[in-house]
Amino acid sequence: MTSFQSTLGDEPGIAEELAESQQSISIAEFFEKNKHMLGFDSGARGLVTAVKEAVDNALDAAEESGILPDIYVEIEEAGDYYRLIVEDNGPGLTKESLPKVFGKLLYGSRFHAREQSRGQQGIGISAAVLYSQLTSGKPAKITSRTQGSEEAEYFELIIDTDDNEPEISVEETTTWDRPHGTRIELEMEANMRARQQLHDYIKHTAVVNPHARLELREPQEHFKFERATDQLPAETEEIRPHPHGVELGTVMKMLTATDSQTVSGFVQEEFTRVGKKTADSIIDEFRDRHYGREMRWRPPASHENVDLHAAVEDATANKGAEATAAFAQSIADGVDDYDRIAYHELLETVESAAEAVEDDHGTTFGDTVRENAVEAVWLELIDAVETESVDDGGADDESRLVADLYDLADEATSTRKDDETIHAFADRLGAAFGDELAAGDDEGNVRHRLTRTRLRAFVDRAADLTEEYDDVSFGETARENVTDAIWDVMATVPDDPPLVRELNGDRDATSDLVDAMRATDIMAPPTRCLSPISEDLITAGLEKEFDADFYASATRDAGVSGGDPFIVEAGIAYGGDLPAEGSGEVMRFANRVPLVYQRGACATTDVVKSIGWRNYGLDQPGGSGLPNGPVVIMVHVASTNVPFTSESKDAVANVPEIEDEIELAIREAARDLKSYLNKRRSMQQRRKKQNVLGKILPEMAEKVAEVTDRDEPDIDDAIARIMNNVLVERNVEANGDGRAVSVVVENNSGTNENLEITDIVSAEPTALSDGATVVEMDGEWFVKWEPEVPSDDEAALEYEVPDDATFDLDVKGVESEKLTVNQ
Amino acid sequence: MSADDTQEAREQLIDLAAQFYDQFELGEIPHMSVPTRTKNNIEYDEDKDVWVYGDRESTRSANSVQGARKLLKAVYTIEFLADQLEEDRSSTLRELYYLSESWDNEEAQFSSQDESNNLVEDLEIVSGVTREDFHMRPEESGATIMGPLHLREQTRRGEREIHCQEDVGEGGYQIPNNPDTIEFLGSDADFILAVETGGMRDRLVENGFDEEFNALIVHLKGQPARATRRITKRLHDELDLPVTVFTDGDPWSYRIYGSVAYGSIKSAHLSEYLATPEADFIGIQPADIVEYDLPSDPLSDSDINALESELEDPRFQTDYWEEQIELQLDLGKKSEQQSLAARGLDFVTDTYLPERLGEMGVL
Repeated sequence: MTSFQSTLGDEPGIAEELAESQQSISIAEFFEKNKHMLGFDSGARGLVTAVKEAVDNALDAAEESGILPDIYVEIEEAGDYYRLIVEDNGPGLTKESLPKVFGKLLYGSRFHAREQSRGQQGIGISAAVLYSQLTSGKPAKITSRTQGSEEAEYFELIIDTDDNEPEISVEETTTWDRPHGTRIELEMEANMRARQQLHDYIKHTAVVNPHARLELREPQEHFKFERATDQLPAETEEIRPHPHGVELGTVMKMLTATDSQTVSGFVQEEFTRVGKKTADSIIDEFRDRHYGREMRWRPPASHENVDLHAAVEDATANKGAEATAAFAQSIADGVDDYDRIAYHELLETVESAAEAVEDDHGTTFGDTVRENAVEAVWLELIDAVETESVDDGGADDESRLVADLYDLADEATSTRKDDETIHAFADRLGAAFGDELAAGDDEGNVRHRLTRTRLRAFVDRAADLTEEYDDVSFGETARENVTDAIWDVMATVPDDPPLVRELNGDRDATSDLVDAMRATDIMAPPTRCLSPISEDLITAGLEKEFDADFYASATRDAGVSGGDPFIVEAGIAYGGDLPAEGSGEVMRFANRVPLVYQRGACATTDVVKSIGWRNYGLDQPGGSGLPNGPVVIMVHVASTNVPFTSESKDAVANVPEIEDEIELAIREAARDLKSYLNKRRSMQQRRKKQNVLGKILPEMAEKVAEVTDRDEPDIDDAIARIMNNVLVERNVEANGDGRAVSVVVENNSGTNENLEITDIVSAEPTALSDGATVVEMDGEWFVKWEPEVPSDDEAALEYEVPDDATFDLDVKGVESEKLTVNQ
Repeated sequence: MSADDTQEAREQLIDLAAQFYDQFELGEIPHMSVPTRTKNNIEYDEDKDVWVYGDRESTRSANSVQGARKLLKAVYTIEFLADQLEEDRSSTLRELYYLSESWDNEEAQFSSQDESNNLVEDLEIVSGVTREDFHMRPEESGATIMGPLHLREQTRRGEREIHCQEDVGEGGYQIPNNPDTIEFLGSDADFILAVETGGMRDRLVENGFDEEFNALIVHLKGQPARATRRITKRLHDELDLPVTVFTDGDPWSYRIYGSVAYGSIKSAHLSEYLATPEADFIGIQPADIVEYDLPSDPLSDSDINALESELEDPRFQTDYWEEQIELQLDLGKKSEQQSLAARGLDFVTDTYLPERLGEMGVL
C-alpha cells in the first residue's frame, strides 16, 4: 500500500474530512466487536457465559417475586450449532418489557439500585442474544407467561445493533404448561470443551442457592440439584448512597436533582445513615474546609497589662457613665469566661452584653457602638492596638500572640527543641497572624480566619525562616504537630453553609462538601440491601454437594468499600469423598453467582494463597499457595456493587477492604477446621495407641497369668484408665426376688464428659435413681440418663428389675475411641 | 549356690509377675518403679562406705505404648528366668538377647542387647536378686590373676585346687563368672595390684614383680567385669589385702579406678557387694607426668568433657581427685601406663612402682 505523506496546511480540509468519518457508535455495535469483554471470547466459553447470564436472570427474577426458583437448563446439538434452552418459574415478563429485556443492551432495573442482585448492568442476557444472532444468525425465541394470564407470549427477536433496539420478527400468543415463568431458546456456535466449567457453574450455583432447584441436561449428562431449604433469601431493600462512597461528579449531579433547599436537608435526604446530628457534623467539617476556622486567643490574664474594661469605655461614647461602665464590665467578664476566644465568640459576647445593659439601663447600644466595642476589645486581644502596632511590636516586651503561640508550639514539639528555637518560630508565626490585619481586602483578615491549608502555609513559612536564620531543623512531623495543635484550638465558624442552589455549580464548594462527608464519622451503611447466605445455609449447601467429613462456615459483619456495603462469607468442607490428591478447590462467588473463569486474577484466590494453611493443619507445599488435600474452600462476596476486574464479571478486584474481610472470613472458618483436624489427629493417635495397647496388654495379662499360675486377670478397667477413657460398666446383683442394676460411668479423661445413656430393658425398671427417665415402647423400657461427669469422677445410675430382664446399653456423647463399655 | 537360693530367686521373680497381676485386677495401670540410674541419683552410704542409688525413681508404666512394651518384655523375661532357674541352667546376657527372637510375640522381642541388659538390671534391682542368682552370665571377660594365691574353684566338672603362680601359665588364673564359687585356701601375698592394660600386666609378670614384691596382679582388662570387682573385694575382705589400682593417666582410666573403689553407676544397687572403697590409686597421676617427664598426648575435647563431668561426679568429689583433675586440665596432657617404657623397660618395676607404693604406705 502506498502511503502519502501529507503535512498540515497542505490540505486545508483535512480536519473536516476526518470529522466526516467520525460518528457515534451504538453500545450493541461496540460489544459486537468486543465480545470478549462480556465473556463470549470463544465458543466454549460463550456457551458457559450464556448459561450463566440466563440462570442469574432467572434466579433474580424468581427471588424478587418470592418464588422458590426452579430452573431447567438444556443444551442440545442442533446441526452445526448448539441450542441452549433455559426455563424458569419466575413471574414472567409483560409483553411490553420483554423485547427490551432481551433485545437491548444496558436495559435493566438494577444499574441504579444500591441493592444486592446477581445482574447489575443489564448487559448479560441481551449480550447472549447478541452472541447467538452473530454466530448462528438465528433469532432468540422467548416464551413468557405472567402469573394468572391465560396464555403465554411468544417472541422471536434479534438486536438491531445499529441503534441497540430489539427487532421483533414473530410475536404471537401460545400455550405453555408452566403457570408462570420465562423460557429462552438460543442457537449459537459453540462447543462443549468447557463442559467442566459448565458443570462447576451449575454445581456451585446449587451450593450457594440451597433454596433453588436446578436441572441441567446436556448431550452427555443430566444433573438434578434438589433444594436443601425452602427458605428464600431475605428480601433486600434498595438503599441510598453512603456519604463515604460518592464521588464529586455524583454529588454535583445529585445537587442538581435534589428537592432540598439546605445542605443539611440535602445530605439527610439523599444519603443513607445521615440524620440531623451527622448532618451537623458534616456541615461543621464543611465550614472548616470552606470558610476556615477562627483563631481563638487567650483572654488577658490578670498580670497582663491589658485593660479591656478601659478599652471598651474608651470606645464607647455618649452612653452615660453608668451604662458604659456596666457595658464594659459585662464584656470584660464575658471575655474572661472563655479559656480562649475567637472573633465570632467575641461578637456574641458583645451582643449579649449590649442586650443586657439595654434592658437594665434603658440605653440603646446601637450597631456602631457594638462594632466599636468589638474592635477595641479584639485589637487588645490580638495586641494590635495602634500605639503598639505590629510594626514596632519589637518595642513591646512580647506580643500576646507570640506568647500564646509559643505555648502551643512548645507543647506540640519534641522536648529536644530548645526554647529559643521555639521562641523564634512563635515570633515569626505571630508576625504572620499580625500580617493578616493588613493583608487582603480593605479590612484585612482581622478575624484571623484560616483554612487548615493556609494555617499550614503559615507554619511552613515560619518554620522555613527559623531553619534558615537559626540554623536548626524544623521537620515535617514538628510542622504537622504544631499545625494540629493550633487547628485544634481554633473555632469552627457559625456562618451558615450555602444553600443547595448556591452550591449547585460551584465545583470548589462541592468538593469541600465531599471532603467533609468523607471526613465525618458515619455509621456503616445498612445491610438490609444485602442478602448473605448465612452460615447455616452455607454448610447446608456444602453438605448437599460435597460428601465431606467436616464443614465449617463463617459470615462476617458488613463492611464498607467505596460507600457500598459488603459482606464476606466463607465455607470449608474437608475430607470424606473429596479428592485427597492435588490441591484443594476454591469456589468463588459474588452475589451468589459462581465465578468460574480467571481464577488467578481474583482477589479471593490471592487471599486463599496468602494464608499460611499449615497453621490450620493443611498441607501447603512451600508454605504458600493453595493448600493440598481433600478440601473445598468457598468464598462469597455480597455487595451492592461487587468490584469486578472486568465486565465479564469473572474475578473480584483487589480492593483492600474486601481482601481483609475475605481473609478474616476464611480464617474464621479455618479455625474450626483446625480444631477439627487437631481433634481428629489426637483421635487417630489414640486409636493407634489403643490398637497397640489393645494387643500388648492382653498378651501381658496372659503371660502374667501363666507365670503366676492363675486365671487371666480382667484388664478392661486398666485399659480404660490408660486410654484416659470413659468407662461405662454395668453391675447386676441379686436383690430379693429381682436384681439391682447399677450403671457406673467412670471418667478417666482430662475433661468433663456429657453422656447420653440409653439402657433398653426388657422388663419394667423400678426404684430409678435421680436424673433418669423411663419410657415404655412396645414392651421395652428405655431408661434415659444424661449425666455430666467431671474429669476423674464417676456417676451411677441405679434401678431394680425382675429376675429375667435383659439389657442393652447405648452410650452417646463420647467419641467411640474414648469409650469403653462393659455390659 | 544352693537349691534354696535358686528357689528364692525364682519366687522373687514370680512375685514380681504377681504384682503386675494384682495391678490388673485392681484396675490399676501396671507399673514398676526402679531407681533412676544416672550419676545425679547416686549418693554416698556412710554406713557401708559405698555409693548407692538415691531416692529418684523412674516408672515403667503401661500408660504408654513404649512402657507397655517394656513391661511385656519384662514379663516374658521373668518367665524365661523362672524356667531357667527351675531347670537349673544358666545363660549369658547375649544369649537372652538372641533367645528373645524365638519368643512367639514379636512385641516382646528385644531390639538391642542394651535393652535386654538394662531389663535384667531392672529385674535385679526390683527383685533384690543378683544377676548371678538368676543364672545370668556376662560374656567371658577373660580377666586374670597372677600371684601367690592358693584357691579352690567349684567347677561344673568338680573341684579344682589351683595355685595362681605355680599351677598356671604365663596367662595366669582366669577369674570365673561367679567368683563366689571360689574358696581361698591361703596366700602369701602382701597386696593386690589391679592393672588396667594387658601390656603392662605382661611387663610386670615378665619382670617377676609378683614374685619380688608378693603382689597379686589382677588384670582388669579395661572397665572391670563384675566378677573381677567381686573377687577383688573378696580378696580384700577375706585375706585382708590392701588393693591398689594402676591405670593409664586419662579420665577414662580414673573411672576404672572409680568402679573398683566406689562401684559403678549402673550397678550401684550392688555396690556393697562389688566395691572396695579402700582401694588406692597408684597412677599414672597427672603429677607423675610432670615428675617423671613422661611422653604425653594432648587432651582431646572428649577427654576434657570427661574430666569436667568427673568434677561433678559425686564419687570423685574428694580433695585428692579434685586436685589431680584440675592439674590435668591445666596441663592439657595425658599419658599411658606404657609411656614409662621411655625410661627403660625395667623402670616401672624398679623405680616407679616401688616409689609410688612406698609413698602410699603399701610397701
